[in-house]
Amino acid sequence: MKRQILSLAAVACLVGLTSTAAAQSNSGSITATALVQQPINVSGAVNLSFGNVFPGVNKAVLLTDAGAGRFDVTGQASTPVNLAFTALPTNLANGGNNLPVSFSSGYNTSNSAAGATSFAPGSGASTSLSGTGALFVFLGGTVSPAVNQAAGTYTATVTLQVTY
Amino acid sequence: MWRRARSTPAGVVTGLCRRVVLLFCGIALWAIPGEAQRPLTVQGTRSLTFGSLLAGVNKSVLRTDLINSGQLDISGPKNVSVLLTFTLPATMAGPAGATLPLTFGSSDGGWSPPQQIGTQTGFDPRVPYTAPLDQNGKVSVFLGGTAKPTANQKAGSYTGTITLTVVVLP
Repeated sequence: MKRQILSLAAVACLVGLTSTAAAQSNSGSITATALVQQPINVSGAVNLSFGNVFPGVNKAVLLTDAGAGRFDVTGQASTPVNLAFTALPTNLANGGNNLPVSFSSGYNTSNSAAGATSFAPGSGASTSLSGTGALFVFLGGTVSPAVNQAAGTYTATVTLQVTY
Repeated sequence: MWRRARSTPAGVVTGLCRRVVLLFCGIALWAIPGEAQRPLTVQGTRSLTFGSLLAGVNKSVLRTDLINSGQLDISGPKNVSVLLTFTLPATMAGPAGATLPLTFGSSDGGWSPPQQIGTQTGFDPRVPYTAPLDQNGKVSVFLGGTAKPTANQKAGSYTGTITLTVVVLP
């Protein structure tokens, strides 16, 4: 009986010593995530064209007119964007001669000026790209030739900046 | 309390053996803590989230970011030191085999008592680091980092796995 008690005590001691010697170790994980957005692409698809104008006679091109300009925008689907015209001239130029101009603008997620939402070109706008990442920005305007406007071809550049 | 061993040779030997065994048991019991050691657990509780990125534009997440920093909670024995060893990916994997570079700086790791993200102690997650478990056997570990999309980075979702291995130090 004594031997059994002594053996059990010895085993218990060994178990105790073993448990203190084992180092605990464990591991856990997390993920790192990121979503790289489609880059924004803005292309001048259609130039704003006033056609022939006559001295002293204003001429307007509406957003829905054939002469309206259009920018095509692509990017990350359903993502908010800011629209800003960073170059919006007050005159079209022909050498040293100027032809006063003003603009109107609108945007739509489909290529339809008729359903476009108008906004003031000088103020810009905020909207979202479509579910396929598309947006169309339409540009109209009015030229106001002077009565003594010099004949010739007048041009200027309008630049649209789109940012997330 | 203890019965005296008989004064026979066999009795003397038996008594000595019993005392020797009891002595070792005393040493062993002294070495064992008063209660069973709590099991060591490491729980990933929050992903390291970079959110939306633009190609060519780096984005960093601070370890003190309450929403986007990574977090792992450790539970184990009370008042011990643990060795923290991160396995950090150099890239995140994306669409069609694309990868997005990911870097970690010398202060992108942090630890604090649970629920105290604002009082972190920073450390370099790229090398093993020793941190304490508190009186409740707990510590939270935080991780920041920097995602570095290239100029022509392919659009899409990217993910990577970060593993923290914890060892209780003697």
